[in-house]
Amino acid sequence: MTPANEVDNQAQKLVAILNSTAPFSSTNGKDALDLALIFGSYEQVTSLFFQGDGVWQLINNQDATLIQSKDYLKTFAALAFYDIENIYLCQQSLNERGLTDSQFTIGNVIVLNKLEFSEKLHQHNVLFRF
Amino acid sequence: MAFIITTPPNSNLTATALNYIELALEQGVSVLGVFFYQTGVLNANEYIALASDEFQTTQQWQLLHQKYQLPLHLCYTAAEKNGLSEEKNTNNIASHFTVSGLGELVELTSAADRVVQL
Repeated sequence: MTPANEVDNQAQKLVAILNSTAPFSSTNGKDALDLALIFGSYEQVTSLFFQGDGVWQLINNQDATLIQSKDYLKTFAALAFYDIENIYLCQQSLNERGLTDSQFTIGNVIVLNKLEFSEKLHQHNVLFRF
Repeated sequence: MAFIITTPPNSNLTATALNYIELALEQGVSVLGVFFYQTGVLNANEYIALASDEFQTTQQWQLLHQKYQLPLHLCYTAAEKNGLSEEKNTNNIASHFTVSGLGELVELTSAADRVVQL
């Protein structure tokens, strides 16, 4: 593996990582977060998107140990240290699940309506789906 | 182009990705590499035997690698989580795969014009 500082300096791509599945029914959420942290550590411009059941990943007071899972949700707090500050969430997905923006585990979540969410996603060059 | 495979060998998405990659290579498109993540890493299991009347995904990866020297990168963390190992006595990773890390995906993403995930 080449060290971070040797990634060539072509025009930087904006990377979007889209989460649309619930946190503990599969490893998607953890795998997406690992990917985000790696892109962050290579100083790639990376945004996280949450829609559908993916919004549950940002909701507080979940105890993964009750189902013998590791609590990766607390790692979301580390995103800021990797300069990943663009975290977008779909308002409609939140409403449909009876959730509110006061229940997030991290502070800098940007809640967008469907159209804004879509427009924001389209501003990125690369999309990874989980 | 670069590809990320996140589906196992018995997934139709994997078969479609293989067809897509083969066509790209046949037409002279430069494919920088394929990165296997999540259960996609199971494609590298040397001992997986799919029923003989099914599409032989694992064989196809080997063919593409041999014919076009297509780099096949395996995320080792995902591989370990899915029962793959490169330890001497328990090695079950097919030799045409390169054991890599997620950093390789960053490199591929940075170098390729497009990254495709099915």
